[in-house]
Amino acid sequence: MIQLHNVSLAYQNDMAALNNVSLKVPKGDFIFLTGQSGAGKSTLLKLLYGALDPTQGQVVIDGQNISRLSRSQIPLLRRKVGVVFQDFKLLPQRTVLENVAVTLEVLGWGKKDIGKKVYHILKQMGLEHKINSSPLRLSGGEQQRIALARALVNDPKILLADEPTGNLDEENKEQILAIFKEANIRGTTVIVATHDRRAIENSHRRVVVLEKGRIVEDSDVVAE
Amino acid sequence: MSSRNKLARRPKLEGEGFFGRFGYFFARAVANLRQNVLVSALTIGTISLSLLIIALFLLVYVNLEKVADTWSEKVQLTAFFQNELSADEFATLKGRIASLGGTEKIIYVSKNDAMKRFRARLKGQETFLEGVVPDVLPAAIEISLNKNSRNSEAVDSYASRLKRIPGITEVQYGEEWVRRFNTFLTFMRLVGALVGGFLILAGLFIVSNTIKLTIYARKDELEVLGLVGATRFFIKAPFLIEGIIQGAAGGLVALLALAACYFGFLHNAGNFLSFNITAAGLSFLPVTYLAAIFAGGIFVGFIGSLTSLKRFITI
Repeated sequence: MIQLHNVSLAYQNDMAALNNVSLKVPKGDFIFLTGQSGAGKSTLLKLLYGALDPTQGQVVIDGQNISRLSRSQIPLLRRKVGVVFQDFKLLPQRTVLENVAVTLEVLGWGKKDIGKKVYHILKQMGLEHKINSSPLRLSGGEQQRIALARALVNDPKILLADEPTGNLDEENKEQILAIFKEANIRGTTVIVATHDRRAIENSHRRVVVLEKGRIVEDSDVVAE
Repeated sequence: MSSRNKLARRPKLEGEGFFGRFGYFFARAVANLRQNVLVSALTIGTISLSLLIIALFLLVYVNLEKVADTWSEKVQLTAFFQNELSADEFATLKGRIASLGGTEKIIYVSKNDAMKRFRARLKGQETFLEGVVPDVLPAAIEISLNKNSRNSEAVDSYASRLKRIPGITEVQYGEEWVRRFNTFLTFMRLVGALVGGFLILAGLFIVSNTIKLTIYARKDELEVLGLVGATRFFIKAPFLIEGIIQGAAGGLVALLALAACYFGFLHNAGNFLSFNITAAGLSFLPVTYLAAIFAGGIFVGFIGSLTSLKRFITI
């Protein structure tokens, strides 16, 4: 369960990026965060993986107030949270295998186990034949699937995605959204920040709309 | 029960404990060096050039110190007597002089020895000495001082103690020369410390900034590692090992280049420049200096990486 209680966040000498935001995301839920650029979507995601601390309020994940975590506890939180970005953030000098393996190396897995697990997830993504390729030789859609494989390879409890389809064509968008749905079916809580209206409308999932740092619409709340 | 099952399914960690992880970090560092060949070569090149400049400076400085040391052996006191000393008298006197702190060597120059030296100095013009008998020259004792007693104050103090010994009529030691020589030594050491200090600081500045730039070029890697839950130690360790490897390689290249410069032309630079400052030509750096240069490379690689990482690791 993810809970935000009256969360506000202001960057230095700037207006509030988030203003008194309260949100509950039950375990295994799939929600879309939407709104215009600068609405606070990325900021909200950053709070959830401990990259930012709220100026006010509390961010609670599985009963743990993450703004109270020490610096040494942040990595432990991030091992439960997979993150993907619009620009993929793959390491160009490493192979596909090495890019995905990094998540498991951090956990201390052995080489053999890493090899098996990475092959397995790449097969799910339909990219097992690219295992020794450089990410630079892959298409945008393929790169995003590698980034997703890296985020999902350790079966995280939560998957956060910041504009994951922003750089992709329609066919690749659908593939990526299908992977999100599969992860969600396996029990991962998925939060996708996007302003892709079509993807949101076709998914029939909960939609939270942000505007100038405030939640102005929550499809779950409306339904209630 | 379910948590026990979860633990049972947890994949076995490869190489548990420090050494197991060290193996991983080392392999990662080597892989990183291979994957970032150009950047690594740039860092190694910068470290080796900086160390080479410092090493060349040390080579010159050490040789100058050696020359100064040779010159300082000329700091000598001569004690004169009116009459020739008997063997017993010389032995007694030698014992008293030896008991003065700072004495290194005592040589007795008899009147005959003094005459021989005088004759040798006037080689070719010996006719001047016709009719001169050794008796007109005074017998003397020449005293060399040990290294720590060759400065002006120590020599003055030694001379005044020497004068108090009965039987010694006069003591000569070229006060002005000793004073000038010591001023020269102080000046040389001061300039050496200033230039050496400046070179070391400049080297540290250049190397640390190069490492900072190379780590900045890989900040995405640091970010990704942080995102997937790596601890600060896990992120830093391979980079620090890389820094140590680059520093060691830089140190080694600098030493090889220094050896090439020395054995290529510097070893006989005295003859080459018609400036034979030491009889044996320039000498190579002592092993302790070479070890210090190599260790300096490792140190600068490690510290440069450590300080740069602090800036770029955000967790």
